[in-house]
Amino acid sequence: MKFGLGKIKGALKGGPGGAEDRTALEQEAAEQAGAEVKKGMKAEESRTGIKSGMENETSRDKPKRQARRFRLQEERGDGEGKEGDEGKEGEERNGGKTGLVFFPAFDWAISPTHPEREERLLYTRDQIFEEGLMDLPEIAEYKPRLAEYKDVARVHFCVPDVPAQATTPHLISAGSGLVLADALMAGEIKNAFSLARPPGHHSMRVAHGNRGFCNINNEAILVEYLRKKYGIRKIAIVDTDVHHGDGTQEIFYHDPDVLFISFHQDGRTLYPGSGFMDELGGPKALARTINIPLPPATPDEGIHHVLDELVLPILKDFRPELIMNSAGQDNHYTDPLANMRFSARGYAKLNEKLAPDIAVLEGGYAIESALPYVNTGIILAMAGLDYSHVLEPDFTPGMFVQASRDRQVLDEIISTQLENWANRDFLTEEALARYGDFYRHKKSIFYDTDMIQEAQEESVRMCPKCPGYMTIDSTGQHRHRSTKIFGVSVPIYACKECQQEAREEYRSKLHDIRYDYIYLQDKKADRYSSYNVKTGQETLL
Amino acid sequence: MLIGIDVGGTTTDAVLIHDGKVKSSAKVPTEPQNLLKSLLSALDAVSRDVSPEKLKRVVFSTTVITNLIAEGKTDPVALLLIPGPGMNPAGYDFPNRFVLKGAVDYRGREIRDLDEKEILETAARIREEGISRVAVVSKFCQRNPVQELRVRELVEEALPGSKVELGHRVSGKLNFPRRIATTMLSAATKEQYLAFLNEILKALSERNIKAPVYILKADGGTLPLEKSSSLPVETIFSGPAASTMGALALTSEGESSIVADIGGTTTDLALILSGKPLIASKGAKLPPYLTHVRAFAVRSLPVGGDSAVRVVENESRLRIDAGVGGETGIEAEIETGTETGAEEGQKKISVGPDRAGPAYCLGGPETTPTDALRVLGLSEIGDLALAEEAVARVGSGLGKTGKETAELILDMASGLVASAVRDMFLEWEQEPAYRIWEVLQEKKAMPKKVIGVGGGARGLIERVAEKLGAEALIPEHAEVGNAMGAALARPTLTLNLHVDTERKEYSVAEEGGIVRLHTTDIKNINNMRSGEAEALAAKLLRARAESFGISEYAGEAELTGSEVFNMVRNWSTVGRLFDVSMQIPAGLIPEWKRGGKA
Ligand SMILES: [Zn+2]
Ligand SMILES: [Zn+2]
Ligand SMILES: [Zn+2]
Repeated sequence: MKFGLGKIKGALKGGPGGAEDRTALEQEAAEQAGAEVKKGMKAEESRTGIKSGMENETSRDKPKRQARRFRLQEERGDGEGKEGDEGKEGEERNGGKTGLVFFPAFDWAISPTHPEREERLLYTRDQIFEEGLMDLPEIAEYKPRLAEYKDVARVHFCVPDVPAQATTPHLISAGSGLVLADALMAGEIKNAFSLARPPGHHSMRVAHGNRGFCNINNEAILVEYLRKKYGIRKIAIVDTDVHHGDGTQEIFYHDPDVLFISFHQDGRTLYPGSGFMDELGGPKALARTINIPLPPATPDEGIHHVLDELVLPILKDFRPELIMNSAGQDNHYTDPLANMRFSARGYAKLNEKLAPDIAVLEGGYAIESALPYVNTGIILAMAGLDYSHVLEPDFTPGMFVQASRDRQVLDEIISTQLENWANRDFLTEEALARYGDFYRHKKSIFYDTDMIQEAQEESVRMCPKCPGYMTIDSTGQHRHRSTKIFGVSVPIYACKECQQEAREEYRSKLHDIRYDYIYLQDKKADRYSSYNVKTGQETLL
Repeated sequence: MLIGIDVGGTTTDAVLIHDGKVKSSAKVPTEPQNLLKSLLSALDAVSRDVSPEKLKRVVFSTTVITNLIAEGKTDPVALLLIPGPGMNPAGYDFPNRFVLKGAVDYRGREIRDLDEKEILETAARIREEGISRVAVVSKFCQRNPVQELRVRELVEEALPGSKVELGHRVSGKLNFPRRIATTMLSAATKEQYLAFLNEILKALSERNIKAPVYILKADGGTLPLEKSSSLPVETIFSGPAASTMGALALTSEGESSIVADIGGTTTDLALILSGKPLIASKGAKLPPYLTHVRAFAVRSLPVGGDSAVRVVENESRLRIDAGVGGETGIEAEIETGTETGAEEGQKKISVGPDRAGPAYCLGGPETTPTDALRVLGLSEIGDLALAEEAVARVGSGLGKTGKETAELILDMASGLVASAVRDMFLEWEQEPAYRIWEVLQEKKAMPKKVIGVGGGARGLIERVAEKLGAEALIPEHAEVGNAMGAALARPTLTLNLHVDTERKEYSVAEEGGIVRLHTTDIKNINNMRSGEAEALAAKLLRARAESFGISEYAGEAELTGSEVFNMVRNWSTVGRLFDVSMQIPAGLIPEWKRGGKA
């Protein structure tokens, strides 16, 4: 490739029709937020052409999609997954680019010395700008936008309301993913990386406050948006953050159409202390949650072993329409909050193999020694460019060796989880036989950042026709104040009966003075109600 | 008296301004092979009857560097790169490129040592190749140039008489590939540029002109001639900058407008927002190079008064990518002459992208928009009978009358310009945002005024404006607006200060070099505040203005950005990083009194 040849951005520009037909530009721009205006406007015809092609493609065999190769990559000699058809689809149309939103939120911090502060992506900015990545013809940079309150309500019961939990930076971080989802679905790009903060994967369905630096769950918001707007059903989320993605797991725990795989440092040695192999999903979605608790000090070798032998085979079998990487970077060997031995190149190679359609930044707090290199590596890998020169100054390949005892642990995890996966239908059948009409479960959740203790009881309708509606009774205790809420959630692919029952359930609680707020999250109708029991006021999103 | 000269692709334009009035103007054809001659004949045309001592200032813009690059007549340069970790350096696809060991990181720490033996071997190979110009560029050299400096030392020792250009002296902005290209182009054009300057100085002294002479840069600022020799690439695209500055001079203060310089073969577009021309967020593009050269956000499209008008079948869609023509636009995303408004298989009109010659009514070979303007009585240029013949020839292919056809031609040409304006505006509107306040900013509003400058503006600009729902304006002297812009532009200057209080040092991107904070009057370095960083920037800018001989404009400097980052390690603050940017923006010299000019 050659620098300086300019962006291909303009390739569709000046085409027939296009902007020509438009009259009041400002009005139009005001109507279409963010990415919709972006590059798409240049040639309406071509865009819709690509879009319909894209729709056909959603059911394709996922692993076939390969990144475009940098011509120098042959020299590297690691040829995994490079079948013959590589890159052709990408080069033939404008969708061959990797979409990137870089939103470092240089004017926002949880608190001045908190790891989630202005400085976090500063050196990453320096590195990726100095590399000139935004100028590459393989990369298209997008401007972030704010997610709407409704996008948040599609996932969360925010206490007391969405604005209280989703402040402007959270909305922009979530919105960055949505901009990229639109670009991806419009066929403008082949894959995307939302390099935005603040993170979100510790946020659960009920949001009483900030947990593990997260208020709202960016990936979950993205999943529900993709389903609602584009009708995508089967989605796989691979959480590559060193911490267990407990928020994402909880949100999709009963959802058989979302495969959630998380590898992380063993919960016995790290926050949030969950993510064990027996957390396999709700009765109707068993083995759609796969946890891989890794021994501390696992290096590239171990993570790639698990990836090759467990994660990729399951993904291939699940055949998702879309793969997301919940891309934390705190497995890095220099991360101050964890104890793993992953390298920048290890991360890049992981993204090359996983070939996610969308990667979303999560944690990673080695802001100087890891992030500039890890992010450069991920961007290059996703763009199909050579990342073999992305090396931390103190890294030499082979400096971390997998302990043989840990290797054994990994092999046991692999065989256990492969078995669970293979038996998923049987396990589900068995579980369904065990429960009656409802599955009920109690749990307690701790919000480390905001020091809130939450007690929850959830119930899921064991519906024979659909994933079943769900209720959550939740009390958040913060010092001497407690807030009690009741939420009812209707899955997007729920049956009519479940939707009807859920609505009745919501109405029946409206006058129950034990609660402060009652919520109805009707994803099927895309209507989100919340009711303040004291004031009697209902809000609809 | 002031003189402004713009050496354009087709014509060289000059004006003589006295007492805020245009005293005389001239247009002479440009001879690409002898720019000096074109420049001097334009100069002579306006200054013939003026005694040389009355001239207070001479400013010119020139395509000399653009032409050298476009025609591949630059000098060979050996490129020594110190990339360190990151992209595969094999992708930096330049001739005579050598990759050296060594590396500096984003904080300016040396993370990998140079290999002096390797440098000496490389120098020996450069000698074998017979190359005497060397450019040394390291990643993050703006944070620490130590490795670039050491390489220069070794190369100069090994290759006596060689000329070594260093990346950190050329640009301190982040973006290594752009810095490579800019440094390489500087090294490759410097000597020929100097020769050109010397010829000009000689010619001026022959004419007894002792007034200070300036050159116009791509960002609409002027630079004393002798200072310009250090960065010749800054003079690329000064043509579009000249016409934008001309539009600025010819409209009221603080106004927002779209500037369309419609020439013979191309139209250059620019935006003036609240009285300030919009600067491209990244540097200029000079296909195939992306550079760090600060330039107006200009867009060029191959449509002008002399564009060839043809009848085409609807399906044969012509699409030409960037790189058409020598004097192309900064954005290099050249709009193609495409056709609109017909059903598949139907015949219709195309305008451009090529020029077959002058307009038919002026004795040219093919129909042009100029002929259409003549037919509709919108211009007096050329022979009416010839124009009617030209337009009728196109019309017969479509089964339309002459007037209908002429309307169609103008509609097509103005439509292309209008959609390029929209594209340019959208691109600006969609610039990335890295801060919350930037995302929350109000929607940007498109200016409601289209200013036409250049020879082809009349007759077309009204239609462009109509399509954009805007008002058209062709100011007096619009046809020499570019030369006026050159005559009236004031100097510009930028200063980007980076302070690292943990390392106790600062650097100025435009100057290179790391300076210890102890040399400043900041008392408590560990506790340095934004105000102090901004004061330091202001002081450095004044000094820089002085060194360029433009102190009188230092008062125009404005703060364009100021950021502070606390560096926190293990939950305590260990230092601060400041980034402060200041500029003397493009503007007009105080001698020019605006108002009532439009
Ligand atoms: Zn994880
Ligand atoms: Zn994490
Ligand atoms: Zn149901």
